Amino acid sequence: MTRVSTPEDVARFSGHYRQDLELSAGYLSILEDVARFRAELCQRQPETVVLVSRGTCGRARGADSLIRTLEKEIARTESNGRVRLRITGCLGYCDCEPIVIIRPRGYFYPRPKDEDIPEIVDKSVMRGEPVERLFMKDVVTGQIVRTENEVPFYQNQIRILFESNFEIDPTSIEDYIRIGGYSALVKVFREMKPEQVIEEVTRSGLRGRGGAGFPTGVKWASCRKAQGESKYVICNADEGDPGAYANRGLLEGNPHSVIEGMIIGAYGIGADEGYVYVRTEYPLAVELVAKAIGEARRIGLLGKNILDTGFSFDIKVNRGGGAFVCGESTALMASIEGRPGEPRAKHIHTVEKGLWDRPSTLNNVETWANIPLIINRGADWFAQIGTGDVSQNPWGGSKGTKIFSLVGKVNRTGLVEVPMGISLREVIFGIGGGVADGKKFKGVQTGGPSGGVLSEKHLDMPIDYDQLVEVGSMMGSGGMIVMDENTCMVDFARFFLGFLEDESCGKCTPCREGIARMLQILNCICQGEASEADLSLLKELAEVVQEASLCQLGTTAPNPVLTTMQYFPEEYEAHVRNHKCPAGVCKRLITFTIDADKCTGCTLCAKSCPSDAVEGEAKQPHRILPEKCTKCGICYDVCKPGAVVRD
Amino acid sequence: MVNVVIDGKRIAAEEGLTVLEAARRAGIHIPTLCHHESLAPYGACRFCIVEVTQRGKTRLMTSCTLPVSQGQEIQTATEKVMRIRRMLAELMLARCPASRTVRAIAADVGVKKSRFRALSDAVCQACGACERRRNGLSTIVGEAGCILCGMCVRLCDDVLKIGALAFEGRGANRQVTTPFREMTEVCMVCGACSSICPTHAIEHHRIRPREPQPIPSEFEEGLTSRKPIYVPFPQAVPNVPVIDPVHCTHFKTGGCNVCEDNCEVQAINHAMQDEIREIEVGNIILATGWDLFDCRRIPQYGYGRLPNVFTSLEFERMCNASGPTGGRIVLRDGVTEPKSVCIVHCVGSRDAHYNQYCSSICCMLSLKLGHLVMEKTQAKVYACYIDMRPNKKDYEEFYQRLLEEGMLFVRGKVAEVTDVARFPHEEGKLIVQVEDTLLGKQRRIPVDMVVLMGALEPRHDAREIGLKAGISCGAAGWFIERHPKLDPVATMTDGVFIAGACQGPKDIPDSVAQGAAAAARVQGLITKGTVMIEPVVATVDEQRCSGCRICNNLCPFNAIAFVADDAVSRINAVLCKGCGTCVAACPAGAIAGSHFANEQVEAEIEGLLWDAHGNGSWAEGEELAPAGVPNNEL
Repeated sequence: MTRVSTPEDVARFSGHYRQDLELSAGYLSILEDVARFRAELCQRQPETVVLVSRGTCGRARGADSLIRTLEKEIARTESNGRVRLRITGCLGYCDCEPIVIIRPRGYFYPRPKDEDIPEIVDKSVMRGEPVERLFMKDVVTGQIVRTENEVPFYQNQIRILFESNFEIDPTSIEDYIRIGGYSALVKVFREMKPEQVIEEVTRSGLRGRGGAGFPTGVKWASCRKAQGESKYVICNADEGDPGAYANRGLLEGNPHSVIEGMIIGAYGIGADEGYVYVRTEYPLAVELVAKAIGEARRIGLLGKNILDTGFSFDIKVNRGGGAFVCGESTALMASIEGRPGEPRAKHIHTVEKGLWDRPSTLNNVETWANIPLIINRGADWFAQIGTGDVSQNPWGGSKGTKIFSLVGKVNRTGLVEVPMGISLREVIFGIGGGVADGKKFKGVQTGGPSGGVLSEKHLDMPIDYDQLVEVGSMMGSGGMIVMDENTCMVDFARFFLGFLEDESCGKCTPCREGIARMLQILNCICQGEASEADLSLLKELAEVVQEASLCQLGTTAPNPVLTTMQYFPEEYEAHVRNHKCPAGVCKRLITFTIDADKCTGCTLCAKSCPSDAVEGEAKQPHRILPEKCTKCGICYDVCKPGAVVRD
Repeated sequence: MVNVVIDGKRIAAEEGLTVLEAARRAGIHIPTLCHHESLAPYGACRFCIVEVTQRGKTRLMTSCTLPVSQGQEIQTATEKVMRIRRMLAELMLARCPASRTVRAIAADVGVKKSRFRALSDAVCQACGACERRRNGLSTIVGEAGCILCGMCVRLCDDVLKIGALAFEGRGANRQVTTPFREMTEVCMVCGACSSICPTHAIEHHRIRPREPQPIPSEFEEGLTSRKPIYVPFPQAVPNVPVIDPVHCTHFKTGGCNVCEDNCEVQAINHAMQDEIREIEVGNIILATGWDLFDCRRIPQYGYGRLPNVFTSLEFERMCNASGPTGGRIVLRDGVTEPKSVCIVHCVGSRDAHYNQYCSSICCMLSLKLGHLVMEKTQAKVYACYIDMRPNKKDYEEFYQRLLEEGMLFVRGKVAEVTDVARFPHEEGKLIVQVEDTLLGKQRRIPVDMVVLMGALEPRHDAREIGLKAGISCGAAGWFIERHPKLDPVATMTDGVFIAGACQGPKDIPDSVAQGAAAAARVQGLITKGTVMIEPVVATVDEQRCSGCRICNNLCPFNAIAFVADDAVSRINAVLCKGCGTCVAACPAGAIAGSHFANEQVEAEIEGLLWDAHGNGSWAEGEELAPAGVPNNEL
C-alpha cells in the first residue's frame, strides 16, 4: 500500500466531492472487497482540492462560515466535480486555524476572512495562482510562508499519525480507505493469528499514550490470557487535562484510525465489544466518532462476521461523566457502568476484572491510532523511532512518536508530533519558535495539571516516559505548557492545585483533604502569610498525598508543588521570607508606584485605571493611591515611558 | 491457606481474606476509619496503609483491599507508614475537630493537634471551601461532622439496596446526602445509616421527616424494642432466632444478606417459606389462652395517651428480673421510681359496656403487684376495687396480709384518670377520680403511676378455631365445655378437649388442673385404644341421598362430610351423637336415626295409643302407662 507523504501523493489520492461518491460495493463482504473498493476510489480523483480545517478550534474561529462561503464560491465556478472541498479535522497549527490549503500547489492560507474567499477561489483554485497578500509571515523567522510544505511549524515534526488528517474528511470512510485505511485490518485477518498481533505490538515497544506508559502488548497479552466469557476493549478519550487536546485532534481528524486500531486490538485480545469513552465536552468528537462507527458498521467493518472472517465486534460510544477523574481506568469503567466515576483499588487488574467484572483493555486514543501503523509498517519500523531498547524488556525504552499540545508562552502553539527522545529544547525552541514576545524561558510543565514543572536545566533532556518520571514530572496526556519570566511558580502550582482540588473525586482522604490543605498553604504563601513551618508542612503533606492516595490523580497531584519547590526554591523563599513575588503575579505581595522622574503626565494610566486609584494633573507626575489600587496592573501595561513601577 | 509474614509473625491465612482481616485475626492492630465487616472493602480512609514486600518489591498498599497471597511480607507500622497515618490524622482532625472517632484514631497514631489552620483563617481567599463545607454539614449530618467514610452510603445502596443516600459533589465539596438534597420517600427509615455511622453524625429527620421507629418487642409488651431477627422470648421452644419478614430489609428490597453472610453454620435461609403441615391425631386439646382487654377502649382511663398509665401485663414484665428494666419499677421515662401507684380493678370486666363476667384473676394479681411495689419501692399503693374476691385457699389470708402491710383499698369504680391538675399538690401527677362508696365521697387520688387490671378476653380468633375443631363458643366467646359441672374438660365433639383460659377466665392453679385433667382424659383414650360410641346414630341411605349437602352444616358435631367421589353425604358414626337434626332436615328423607326409624317411632306411638284406641278410653286424671305396664307400677 502507498502512504501519502508528498504533495504528489496528495494529488494522486485526492478525492471527489463526498456527495458525488457512490459506493459500487455498498457493503464489503469479504476481505478482497476492501482492496477492490480502494482501487475504485483511487480512480476517481478531482484535479483540485480545497482543504478547510474544521476541528473544534477551527469552528470556534469561524470555519463554518468560511465553509459556507467556499461552497457557494466553488459552486459558482461550475467546476463539475473537478474541485473538491475537503473539510478536515484539526491540522494542529492552532495559531493559523482555520487553515485553507489549495492543492495540488499546496497554497497555505491561515485564517482567511470570508471576503477573501472569492479571490482565493478565482485565483488559487481556478487558475493555480497564489494570493500573496493572504500568506503568513512566520513569527520567528519573518519569512513569507506560501505553501504547506514551507510551514516551519510542521517541518521539524514527524507526523506519522497526524499527516492523515490532511487527507481525510472525518465523516468519510471512503477517504480513509482510499489512503490505505483498513488495510492493516485486512492484513491482520489474512496473515496473522491473534497471538501474532500481540507479539507484533509488543515487539514494536508501543507504550500507553495515556501517560502511564504501560507496554501495550503486555497489557493485551494479559487480557488475552484472562478468563472471561466476553472481553472488552475501551478507548479512553476522556481527555480532561486543561491545555491538552491531542486526543480530540485525532478523534476529530481521523476517527477511523482509532476504530481500526480497536478492531485489531479486539481481534488480538479476543474481545467482542468495544467502547469509546469520549469526553462530553467534546461534542464534535462525539458526533464524528459516532458517525464513523456508523459508517464502518454500514459497510461491514463492524458487526457480525466482519468481512466473512467469522470475527464479530462492535463499538459503542459512551459520553464522559464530566469529571477529570473519569479518565482514570477504574473510574472510567465505573462511569460506563452507570455509577459515579470513582476509582477503586486495583489489586485485581482491569485486564482481569474490568468493565462489568470482565477482562477489559483500556487504551488511549493515540495508542489505538498507532496500531494500524505498526501492523502495516511492522514492529521493526516503529521500534526504530524513539529511545532505548525494547527487544528484551518492554519497559526498556519509549518508541514511536508522541503528540504534544504545545501551549503557553510560546511563539507557535499547536499539536506537535515528535519522535520519543527529542529534547524539550527542540520542541519549544525548534518547533515552537521559542518564548513569545522575546521574553525569557522559565519553565515548562509536561503531562497536564498533575505534571511537574521543569526548568531550563532540563531543556536538553530527551523526552521519554522514564526520563520525565525521573525528574518528577510525567508524560501524561502530552500537555506541554511553556512559561516565561512573568509566571510566578507558586501561583502556577496554586492554579493547578485549584483545578485538582475541584476535580478530586473526594473518595480518599489524602487526595480530598490533602489537596485542599496544600492549596490552603499555597494561598497563604501567595498572600505572604506563610511561615517556614508552613513550607515544610507543605512538603511533608505533598509527599504523603503522593504516597498514600488511591489513584493516579492523587498520587500525581503534588507534582506541580514538589517540582516547583525543587527547581524554583528561590521563588518560594522570596514569598515566605521577603514577602515578595519575583514575577509580580501575587497581588498581595506587589505594589505599583509611579516613578515621578519618568512620568510625563500623559494621564493614560489615570484614564485606564478601573478603580480611580491614579491621581494627578496632566503634564504633572501622577501618583497611585495604594488604598484604592486593586493591583490589576493595567497602568503598568499602558504606561509608555515605563514610569509605573511594579515591586 | 497461604503463608504470609505480618510484622515478623508467620501467619497461615485463609485464601480470600484481606491483609487487614488476616492481621486482625492474628491479633495485630491496624487502624481504620472506613472499614466494616459487613461492607465491601473501600480503601478510602488510607489509615490501614501498610508496607508490602513481594517479589523483591516493597510498596505501600491499603490492607483492607489487598488480598493475602503467598509470600507476602507485611510491615504494619514502619516509620513511613506511621508518618502517613500521622499526616492523615492531622488532615482528619482539621476536618472534624469535634469528632470523638477522629480524635481517638489520631491519639492511636500519636497525634494530638493538627498543624493546619482553620479554614476561616485571616488568609481567606473567598474560595468558598469553608462555606461549602458548612453547607455539606447541613444536609443530613449534624455537628459531629461527617468523615466521609461512606459506610452509610455503601450500606444503604450496596448492602440494603435502598439507595436513599449517595455522595454528592467532588473533592472538597463531597458530601453524603439524599437525592437532590431533599427529603426522600425512598428512605425506609430503617435507621441502619445512623447505627453504622462511626461519628453518630447522621440526623434522620433530615433524610425523611420521621425518626426510625423501634420495633416493639411483643414479649416485653412493647416496653423495649427488638431487631427484625430475634429470639421470641427467653426459653422459647425451639430456642432459636426468627426473622420478622415485615421488618426485615431483605424482604423489602432483596438486598441485605448480612445475617446470612455472617452465620458461620449457614443456618439462615431467606428463601424458606411458611408451610402447612397436616398431622393426623386422635385427640386435640385446645389450650389457646386469652387476650388482654385493649385498655384504649376506655378512653377516660388514658391508656396510650398518658404515658404513665400501664396495663397489668406491662407492669408484670417490668417487675420481672429478666424483663426490660431488670425488675426495677420505673415510670415510662425508664428512670424515675414512682412515689405512689394506683391499681385500677375491673378494667373491661364486670362492666355492662364491655364484659359482664368477672375476670377472676385480677383481684389476686393486683394484690401480688401491690405487694411487689411495696417490696421494691417506697411507693404508696392504692387499689380501687368493686368487690374483693380472694376466693380460694390462702387467698383471703394474703389479702389480710396486704391490708396489714398498708396497701390502701378504695371501694369504688374509677371514673377517670387524668393529668389535669386542679390543686397544686396534683401538679405533674396522674389524678384518679373515684367515688369511695364506703365513705360515700368523691375522691381525687394523685399518683405517679396507674396500673389497669385489664379484663381477660377470649382470643380474638377463638370462634374461628372453635369452628375448625367443631366446638362452639358461648356468648362471651369462651369455648363451651360438654357440661359445666360434670364434664368441664371435654367438648361436644369427641376427641376435642379444652384446658385453661380458653374455656373461661381462670388463674394458674385452675389452668394447671384443667390441663392435667385434659391430658389424663386423652391418655385414657390412648391407653384404651378403643372408643365407646353412642348407640343412637344417624345413617344415610346412600340410594336416596341426593348430595344436596343441607345436612353437612347443620350437624352440631361436624359428623357429616360430603364424599365428592360418590356424590353423597356420609356420617361419621364415632362423632354422631344421634341428635336427629339431620334426620329432620333431610329433604329426601335419606337419613334415619338408628333405633329411631320412622317405622319404629310410629310403632311406639301405636303402642302408646293401643290401649286408648282398642281397650278403653282416657279417663280423667288417669295416669298413662306404657303398653303392657300396669299402671300401679309407675
